[in-house]
Amino acid sequence: MAKAKSKAKAKPKIAFYWAASCGGCEISVVELGLRLIQASELVDIVFWPCIMDFKYSDVEALKDGEITATFFNGAIRNSESEHIANLLRAKSQVLVAFGSCSHTGGIPGLANFYDKASIFERVYDTAPSVDEDSRGTYPKVRTKVSEGEIEIPKFYDKVKTLAQTVDVDYFMPGCPPVVEQIWTVLNVLLAGQLPAKGAVVGADAKTNCDVCTREKGGSSQRVSEWKRPHEVELDPDVCFLTQGVICCGPVTRAGCGLPCISGNMPCRGCYGPPDGVVDQGAKLMSAIGALIDTDDPEKLQEILNTIVDPAGLGYRFGLANSIMNQLK
Amino acid sequence: MSHTQTEGPETFADRVRAIPGGEHLEMCYSCGTCVSKCMIQQKLEPEYNPRRLLRMVMMGMEEEAFKSPTTWLCSECDLCYPACPQEIHISAVIGVVRQLAIEAGYTSPLETVTVDEDKCSGCGICVMVCPYEAPHLIEKEVDGEMDRFSEVDANICRGCGTCVAACPLGAVARPGVSNAEIVAQIKVKRQPKDVPRLVTFVCDWCLRADDDVSLLESYPDNVRVIHIPCTGRIDPEMALMALRSGIDGVLVCGCAPGECHYKRGTYVSSCKISLLNTMLGQMNVGDGRVRFVQIGTQDRGRIRNEVDGMLEHLTAYKEAQ
Repeated sequence: MAKAKSKAKAKPKIAFYWAASCGGCEISVVELGLRLIQASELVDIVFWPCIMDFKYSDVEALKDGEITATFFNGAIRNSESEHIANLLRAKSQVLVAFGSCSHTGGIPGLANFYDKASIFERVYDTAPSVDEDSRGTYPKVRTKVSEGEIEIPKFYDKVKTLAQTVDVDYFMPGCPPVVEQIWTVLNVLLAGQLPAKGAVVGADAKTNCDVCTREKGGSSQRVSEWKRPHEVELDPDVCFLTQGVICCGPVTRAGCGLPCISGNMPCRGCYGPPDGVVDQGAKLMSAIGALIDTDDPEKLQEILNTIVDPAGLGYRFGLANSIMNQLK
Repeated sequence: MSHTQTEGPETFADRVRAIPGGEHLEMCYSCGTCVSKCMIQQKLEPEYNPRRLLRMVMMGMEEEAFKSPTTWLCSECDLCYPACPQEIHISAVIGVVRQLAIEAGYTSPLETVTVDEDKCSGCGICVMVCPYEAPHLIEKEVDGEMDRFSEVDANICRGCGTCVAACPLGAVARPGVSNAEIVAQIKVKRQPKDVPRLVTFVCDWCLRADDDVSLLESYPDNVRVIHIPCTGRIDPEMALMALRSGIDGVLVCGCAPGECHYKRGTYVSSCKISLLNTMLGQMNVGDGRVRFVQIGTQDRGRIRNEVDGMLEHLTAYKEAQ
């Protein structure tokens, strides 16, 4: 990295960070393979703690706006992720919310069904454990030990998206963002072809249904029993909804290239809502509810009961970003 | 009777009878029970009259029948069917006249939905949910590539808006019931702390008595009434938007099961509100603040109890906060 400084023209500086996330976004970047080496000749990677040895002090030492672009994956779960989000915001010209967790809360955002107290109670008290002695021991931000005081990040009551924490320039959806889209976006940004602030990049405007080639439902083809994917042998050429399996494709932005749908599994919604949809889960239920086929009120309730966990289905990746989340 | 004749020119009535659904035409003896059951004459079009339409057909008044509002406005709710002493499936007969009218080049005078192809993804959900089978998918070339869109047959669409709510991309709309137009109405003036704010969506058909309709208008500012053609038009996202804006509760009023003016809208709404309430419960924020009620033809005056009951519930909810 230091060698770059000797060149006549400074290379753009790029940073990657992971907050509350699984690491899948990092894997997706690494999947660039040889192109990553190609990219590293064009840019200086100044911060990427998952892959290379960097310290937070390395970032603190940078001037404000010195980083050309930061790709920030992961949701904001605790005071550490919030602190680094603020730090990277200050140091970066362009901040990209990278991946579902950062964009819409992702899987960690599902924790917003609960609060800190009930999560701690489950994790540190009531969950089955082989270590009975430590049952009921809760983490504290500051703990005095013989060597002095140690501090760990403060766990927040709710998971937040990156944009709920700092100003974000672009959003790149996906769990994880697919590698071809990463390459395209990287090149677009490096070429200085910046889209309008707030744009969703590396994805399409319409939904997965627009690109899905499965045979769509016909007139009055409605559903009298909803099934989960493992309960039915699925026809790979026919729309999941017509087979009575809930697919989030109709309320999910296209751009992933349909890996799940090609694998004969319904869309789970990781690319987030398309333009015009504010609350992905409610919008999904607006379509699903209208597809139910019955004129018998008792049967209707039976069919509704076959939809297991509607909120988990509709908000699998987007709870933290939903209107539903704002009501709590 | 004419249908036993084997000679002579084919009459208009012969053509109607020859199509399945039209065969019971001449069983009508013009008692008018169907008219007394029908809501359209009372609420929408004074000239609407199935009894007269059937008589026109029997008398060979083809052009008048094709132009008659009765031919186009019937929504096949079938409230008249069980009431007809002759057990004529009147909407089926009207449907045949409508079919012949379309074949003769007449078009529906109704305000119907249109598809914005820039937004449509061709998902087919509108095709599946429509009570009348008005939409279908078409393929056409756009910029050298084949793309799939929904297309709505304006002569079949009744404008209920069930597809408008089900369309995830807001690609289907009709004037008056587009997402933007309904969302713009979701507002209630600020109220003193103890006064609950309520938005009531009411379908155009469930309140049979004029007194009930005017009663709704008599509520003070804290009760906002939004009229929609059918509760099939309800979108859970709108209810969430209302709650987010600080409104305390949402009441949705539709027709009783079996009495829905647009055949299945009340079931659709029932499913949607039920799913929404399940989700609100999962999030632990429900508290009965979104409610769906089905008001039947015999339920004159019930709307007052429903609105007052909801306000009472919301007052208690606010006190508990």
